[in-house]
This record gives sequence, C-alpha cells and structure tokens, in this order.
Amino acid sequence: MQTLVAMVKKMKSNISSKLLGWRMWIQSAFLVLWLDPLGLRLHTMCSPVFHCYSCPLATFACPIGIIAQFSAMHLFPFVAVGLLVTVGILFGTLICGWVCPFGFLQDMAAKIPTPRFDLPKFTGYFKYVVLIVTVLAIPYFFGEEHLLFFCRICPAGALEARVPSMINQAIAGQSVVWPNALKLIILILFLIAIFFVKRPWCRMLCPLGAIFSLFNRFSAFFLRFNADKCTDCKRCHKLCEFGIEPEKSPNDLGCVRCLECTKCGPDALNLGSIFERTEKDNEKIKTE
Amino acid sequence: MTKEKKIFVVCLLILFGAAMFCYGAFFNSAKVLAPSDDKKVELSKPETSLIKLASVGGVRRDEFGRIEQTFAEGEKPPETCPT
Repeated sequence: MQTLVAMVKKMKSNISSKLLGWRMWIQSAFLVLWLDPLGLRLHTMCSPVFHCYSCPLATFACPIGIIAQFSAMHLFPFVAVGLLVTVGILFGTLICGWVCPFGFLQDMAAKIPTPRFDLPKFTGYFKYVVLIVTVLAIPYFFGEEHLLFFCRICPAGALEARVPSMINQAIAGQSVVWPNALKLIILILFLIAIFFVKRPWCRMLCPLGAIFSLFNRFSAFFLRFNADKCTDCKRCHKLCEFGIEPEKSPNDLGCVRCLECTKCGPDALNLGSIFERTEKDNEKIKTE
Repeated sequence: MTKEKKIFVVCLLILFGAAMFCYGAFFNSAKVLAPSDDKKVELSKPETSLIKLASVGGVRRDEFGRIEQTFAEGEKPPETCPT
C-alpha cells in the first residue's frame, strides 16, 4: 500500500515533465480546433487565443480584434473581456505556451537551428504599451481608420488573412490588394525575427499575452517552486529560453509557461494548482 | 496571502468573468442603424451579432457617434479583412 501511495505521489510530482513530452501534440490539437476543420465559422464568439478572424480558416473571432473594434465603437466587449478574465484567472499564460496557434508557429520556427539572440528585459513591457495604445486608446479616440489601429498593424492578420487573400486574388487573376506599408514592414520584421529570437511577438508585443500575464501571479494553475528541493544548480536558468530566473520569479510576467524549466533534475519546479493539497496542508491536517 | 484567501479571490474572479461573459452573450445589445430601402432603420443587435459583424467589417461608428451597419440586410457583408 505504501509503495502504491509513493508511486501516486511520484506521478503527481512529475506531471509537468510528463506533459512536456506531449506539448507539441497538444498545441497541434488546439491548432486543428482554431482552424475550423468543420467550416463552422462561429464568429459570434471569441476564442482565448491570438488568431485573426479574417483568416479563411478561423473558427472563432479574435478577442483582441473584438476589443479594438468595440473600443472604436465606444462599446464595452463583455463577451471578450469576460472570457479573458475567466481563462486568465484559471490558466494565466499557460494559454500562450500550450494553446495559442501564433505561439505554436513561433515555436516551430525556433526548431530551425539558427543563432539565437536574447532580448533586454525592458522589452517585455512593450506589450503593455501595445495593449493600451493600439488596442484601447487609438481605436477609442481615433476610430478604426487610424494607421495605428491594432488590426492595421497586426502581423497575425497579415500572415493569416491578408497573405491568403492576396494568393486567392492572384490565382483568380484579380489585381492583388497589398496590405499597408507599416503592416508589411511589421510582417517582414516578424518573419525575420522568429528565426533569431525565441517567440519575439509573445515576449515583446502581444497584447493578449499582456492581459494573461497580469493573472500569472494569482492564477489557479501556476508554476510551483519548492525551495527545499532546489540544489541551486541554476539548470533552470539554462532551460528557460526567455531569460527568466524561475527560482526567483516562477510566475514572472514574461513567462509563457512552456514548463521547460520543470525539466530541472531535483524536481524543484512543477505545475501546481491552488486546489491541490500540498505536503504542508497534509501536515497541518495531521496536527489538527 | 493565505491559500484560503487565494482560493476565495480566484473563485470570485472566475464568477466575475463568467457573469460578464454570460451578460454579454445572452443579455447585452446595442442599437445599430441598418440601411433598408434608401433609409436607415434602428435595430437592436445582441453583442454576439455585433462580434460577428465586427469580424467582417460590417459595423462602424459614424460621425454622430451612432453605430451603423455597413451593408443592408440580405446583402453580402464586406467579408474580407476589415483593415
């Protein structure tokens, strides 16, 4: 019986490293869900991920696009904000690391062996500026016609909607409508950057990641650091490709919860939830 | 923050988010001016319809601050990327 309990405990403690082996498959499964395989076009509802609704293959509406459009109409987007608050408080940026198709695209590009460069830490705050300025303020004060209206500069929109549309126009023999110059420049910079920086969009500019990161410190699922198990080997620093020191800040604003750091030998970092009982809780119950 | 307090705050925020989502999905609506036979009629559109319309560039705010539909009922919406 004791062996069985020990086995169950071990399985529970290693859940992150077990999940990690499936990460690419989980991302692929969600990608299929977002790409509307049944042609349902459920655009009356938002998804919690960054995927342009103008994409010919989009099951749901993009929450950031909807927030920007509603801001331009001076309406409060209850559906989009309610969804993001609910999902954010449950998972935080776990959505970015495991569910988002745009993050998955960048992860795939990162598999190509090219030299990688790190970004200065302050660039992680740009995404909050993008959220406040291009998604909320500019649409509210200047409407959707402004050049810096978020959808007009979004690389996901350019890649997932404008490029397929241009290909369609070219195939049909119609004149090709190009995106505006700024959108084109951002798309080209993004396509170059994904081969030299790990997840550049998520780390620097993603407004959806900015929203989810605000929930990281108190979300129901979080990265648990067990100081008793830590041997201070700093392996987690090497495993983290986002320049975070997981033992100091396991639920950092810049973390996308890819859970790579949980590969560290002593099992000091693990995916935890506020609803599970820890060893401390068990001891407390015993003493009571 | 103790664990109990954290669970309380998380549950409260989940309820808050879910309530906001349900209000938007089932109860919220906005007045929209839709073109119909050379004139504009005011329609009450639920938020879910507005989301769909926004995703095809089918609604915008006019110079008087009213929300107007960019195509008449029965017509095809702009369809392509609104930007």
